[in-house]
Amino acid sequence: MTDPQIALAMLGIFIACVFLGFPIAFTLMALGIGFGYYAYYDEGRMWRAFNRLGEDAGWWDSATLWFDGYFNNRIFDLFVNQTYTVISNEVLTAIPLFLFMGYIVERANIVDKLFGTLAVATRNVPGSMGVAALITCALFATATGIVGAVVTLMGLLALPQMLKMRYDHSFAAGIICAGGTLGILIPPSIMLIVYAASSGVSIVRLYAAAILPGFTLVGLYLIYIVVRSMLNPKLAPKPTYEELPAVPFGKMMWMLVTSFLPLAILIFSVLGSILFGLATPTEAASIGALGGMVLAVAYRAMTFQRLRESVYLTVRTTAMVCWLFVGSYTFSAVFSYLGGEQVIGDFVKSLDMTPIQFLILAQLIIFLLGWPLEWSEIIIIFVPIFLPLLPLFGVDPLFFGVLVALNLQTSFLTPPMAMSAYYLKGIAPPEVKLMEIFKGVLPYCGMVVLCMILMYQFPQIVFALPEVFYGPSR
Amino acid sequence: MLSYIRFADHTSAFFGKTFGWLIVLMTFGMSYEVLVRYVFNAPTPWALDVSFIMYGTLFMMGGAYTLSRGGHVRGDFIYRTWKQRTQAWMDLTLYILFFFPGIMALVVTGFKYSSRSWGYSEVSVNSPAGIPIYQFKTVIVVAGILLLIQGLAQVFRCIICIRQGYWMEAEDDVEETEELLMKQAAQNQPK
Amino acid sequence: QEPLVVKMQTSWPASDIWMDFARQYVERVEAMSGGRLKIDLLPAGAIVGAFQVMDAVSDGVLDICHSVPVYWYGKSKAASFFGTGPVFGGSATTMLGWFYQGGGKELYEELTQQTLGLNVYGMLGMPMPAQPFGWFKNEVNSVADLQGLKYRTVGLAADLLQSMGMSVAQLPGGEIVPAMERGVIDAFEFNNPSSDSRFGAQDVAKNYYLSSYHQASEAFEFVFNKDFMDDLDPDLQAILRHAVEASATANLALAMKEYSADLQKLQTDSGVTVHRTSKEILAAQLAAWDGLITDLGTDPFNAKVMESQRAWVSQVAYYELMNAPDLGLAYEHYFPGKLKL
Ligand code: NA
Ligand code: NA
Repeated sequence: MTDPQIALAMLGIFIACVFLGFPIAFTLMALGIGFGYYAYYDEGRMWRAFNRLGEDAGWWDSATLWFDGYFNNRIFDLFVNQTYTVISNEVLTAIPLFLFMGYIVERANIVDKLFGTLAVATRNVPGSMGVAALITCALFATATGIVGAVVTLMGLLALPQMLKMRYDHSFAAGIICAGGTLGILIPPSIMLIVYAASSGVSIVRLYAAAILPGFTLVGLYLIYIVVRSMLNPKLAPKPTYEELPAVPFGKMMWMLVTSFLPLAILIFSVLGSILFGLATPTEAASIGALGGMVLAVAYRAMTFQRLRESVYLTVRTTAMVCWLFVGSYTFSAVFSYLGGEQVIGDFVKSLDMTPIQFLILAQLIIFLLGWPLEWSEIIIIFVPIFLPLLPLFGVDPLFFGVLVALNLQTSFLTPPMAMSAYYLKGIAPPEVKLMEIFKGVLPYCGMVVLCMILMYQFPQIVFALPEVFYGPSR
Repeated sequence: MLSYIRFADHTSAFFGKTFGWLIVLMTFGMSYEVLVRYVFNAPTPWALDVSFIMYGTLFMMGGAYTLSRGGHVRGDFIYRTWKQRTQAWMDLTLYILFFFPGIMALVVTGFKYSSRSWGYSEVSVNSPAGIPIYQFKTVIVVAGILLLIQGLAQVFRCIICIRQGYWMEAEDDVEETEELLMKQAAQNQPK
Repeated sequence: QEPLVVKMQTSWPASDIWMDFARQYVERVEAMSGGRLKIDLLPAGAIVGAFQVMDAVSDGVLDICHSVPVYWYGKSKAASFFGTGPVFGGSATTMLGWFYQGGGKELYEELTQQTLGLNVYGMLGMPMPAQPFGWFKNEVNSVADLQGLKYRTVGLAADLLQSMGMSVAQLPGGEIVPAMERGVIDAFEFNNPSSDSRFGAQDVAKNYYLSSYHQASEAFEFVFNKDFMDDLDPDLQAILRHAVEASATANLALAMKEYSADLQKLQTDSGVTVHRTSKEILAAQLAAWDGLITDLGTDPFNAKVMESQRAWVSQVAYYELMNAPDLGLAYEHYFPGKLKL
C-alpha cells in the first residue's frame, strides 16, 4: 500500500471505531499515534544508538538500546508538540469563558421574567405566546451558546403556559425546540469558535458573518409562527383577559427595562466590542462572564453554590471540547503527513462536480453525520476534511462555516439524535408525545434549508457584515 | 477495586475542580486587562500569555475529572443499544488498546519535552514580558498521570461490570441544567 | 535508486513570498543532488506551528526548517543576536559577514548545541533589507503617539518597543491580520512590502512607516536535525549547506524585484501612505537600544556576543560607510524629486 492509501485506511478505521462508543478524543489520539508510528518508522534513525554499539558492548547495553529503539519514534515528539499547540491556542481561550458566562446566565433566574414580560408585550400579535417564547429562546440562546439548558428551561416555563392557553402540542413544542437550538448559530457561539480554530478562518469575521443569517432564520421562524397562527387560530388561540391580564403601558415599559434590557445590553456589549475590535473575543467573553455575574447578583440569584456549579460544569465541558482537539491535531498532522488530503482532493477533482453540486453533497454528508455524531466531533474531525477542497470549487471557508452552522441546527431537531426534542420530551408533561414534538419541529428544518438557499442566492447575507467591519475577504 | 475507584474519582475531581477556579481568575484577569487598556491606556504585557496558560491548565487538569464522570464525547448511538456487559468488554479492550498507549506517550515524551524546557527556564515567545512556560509544559505530564490513574479506575469499572452485568452508578456531582431538570421532571411525574 | 525524501517546514503561510524563497532553496538542492534528494516543502502549521519548528527539528519531527532565530527566543533571548539585535551601524549584510567570518557561527553553536542542548546545525541565508517600522491605523510622529499601542514585532525588537511604552505581542506572520481583526494588536510590523501586502496588511491599516532601527538587520535561518545531517553522504551534506549560500543570492534578486514592485502597488492601488519613521522615534529607538544593551550585558554570554558584534561592526561598517558613495545623490540626479528622505 502507498502512504496515501494508508491515510485513507486510517480515516476508514477511525470512522468504524467511532461507532464502538469509546471516547473519541482518545480514539483519535490512539489512531494518530498508531498510524504516525508507521509514518515515522525509520529503522536507521530509531536504532541509531544500537547500531553504533561496538563489538565489545555488553549484552545489557545491547538489549536496552535495542528495546529503546522501539520507543525512539518521532511520532511521540510530534504528539507532545501538537498537544502543546492546542494548550497554547489563543483562539480557544475564549471557550471556557463563554461557557462560564452561559452557565452563570442559566442560573440567573432570567428566563421567567423575560418570557413573562414578552408574553404581555406581544399579546396582540397572532400567536403571541409563541412569538414571546421564540424571542426569549433566541435572546437566551445567544447568551448561553449551548442547546440543552435553553430547551429545558423554556420547556418548563413556556410550554405549560402555552398548553394552558390551548396551544397545539406540536406547534408549541416546535417553537421551543427550534428557538432553543439557535444558540449554536448566533454569536457568540462556541461552535463557531471551534470552527474557526479548526479551519483557520478569523473568528471575528465568522461572528460577523453569522449574524445576518442568524437573524434571517429568526425572522423566518417568526413569520412562520405569526402566519400559521393567523391562518389557523386554533393552533394558537389568543389569550383572554382573564388568562393574561393587560398591563398599563408605564408598568410594561418598566418590566421591559428590568427584564429584557439587561440581558440585551450584556449580549450586545459582548458582541459589539468584538465586532468593533474594542476587545478580543477572549476579553469580551470575560466581560460577558463578569456581566453575567453582576446580572445574577442583581436578580438575587447568585449563590456560592451556583457559582461552584458553573465553575465545575465549565471545566468538564471545556475539557470535553479541547481534548478532542488534542486528539485531532495529532490525527490530522499524521493524516496529511501520509498525503491523505492530497488523495481526497484528487478523488473529488476526478468527480468533476460543479460548485453547487459539491456544496449540496458536502452539506448532505454533514447533515447525515449529524445523526449519529455531535457537533463538536463533526466540526473538529470531519469538517477539516472538506476544508482543503473548498478552493477547488471557489467556496469561501467563511461561507462554508456559516452553512455548516445552519445545517447543524437540523441535527439537533431531526431523529434519531434530535437532542432538542429529547430534552423537551424529558421535561414536558406526559400528554405531549415525542411524535408530536418531531412533527412540530419539521417545518423548522424546512426553514433552515430555505435559509441556506437564500444564503446561496444572496451571499451578501454572509459577506456584508464582515466586509463592513473588516474589509474585503482574502 | 472499589476503594481504588473511589480514590481515583476523588483525586481526579479534586484536581479538576481546584483548577476549575482558574476560570474565575481568568474572568477577572482579562477584565482587568480591558480596564487598564481603556482607562489608563496601559495594556498589560502578560494578558495574552496568562490567558492561554490558564485556559490550557484548566482543561488539561480537567481531563481526568471529565473522564471519571463520563463527560468525554462518544459516538454511542450503537453502543447504547448493547448489553452493559458487552459495553464493558468493548471499553476494557479499547482502554488497553487505545487509551493507555496514548496517555503513556503523553507522560513519557511530555516529560522529556518539559524537562528540556526547565533546562533553559523557557519563557513565552509571545511577549517580551518573559512569562515562564516550563511549568505550563509540565501540565502535559501531570494531566497524563491523572488520566493514567483515572484510566485504571475505568478499567476496574469495566471489570466490575463484566462480573456483575451492570455499570456501577457514579457518585452524584454537579449536572448540566438540562440533565438536572429532566431528572426532577421524571421524579415529579406520576408513573 | 529512490530519492531520499526530506521533510522541510517553514514558519510562513503558504502564500508568503518567503515560501518562494524556500522553494528556490529546494530547487537548488534537488538539481545539485541529481535527484538523490527530494525535499517535501511545507508551510507553517502543516506539521507544527510557526514558532515550534526549532523544537520539531531538534526532535527530528522535521528534518529541516526555514525560519528566523527570533522565533525561538523564548528559549534564550540571545537567539535574537543571530537574527535581529542591537544596531551598532551594520546592515544585514554586515551581520551575515559577522556570522560566517566574525565568529558568529561558533557562538551560535555554543548557544544551540551546548547551552540549550538542541540537536541541530544552523546556518543563516539571505540577509534581509532593513525592516519597516510597520503598519499603523493613524499617523505616529512622536514617541507619545506610540504609548499604549498594542504592537506586533519579534525578538529583541519586542523588548525595545516595550521599553518605549508599547505593549508588544509576538505572533507568527500568518496570524497578524486575524489578530488585528480580533483586537489582539492594533499596529504591527512584519517584514517587507511583499509579505506584508500578501497577508493583507493594507486592508487593516493605511500608514506604512519605512526605515527603522528596530530590526535593521536579519537573515533567514536554516536549521538541520543533527542526526539527519550526520547520516547523509558527505556530498549530500555539502549540497544542503552550500545551497543555503546559493539561495541567498537567488532570494535577494527576487526580493529586490518583488519588494520594490509591491511597495509601489501599495501606494498606487491600495491607497497606502508611505512615511519615513520620524527622527524623534528613531532617536528614541537608539536610546532604547542603549538601555537594552546595558540590561542584556549583565549576562556573560550576551556580553560576549555583543562584544564580538561590536568589534566586527566597528571595523567592517567603518569601511562600508566610508567607502559607500552617496547613492541618494546619484538617484536624485537621474530621478529628480522622487525621493522624500
Ligand atoms: Na450563541
Ligand atoms: Na519584523
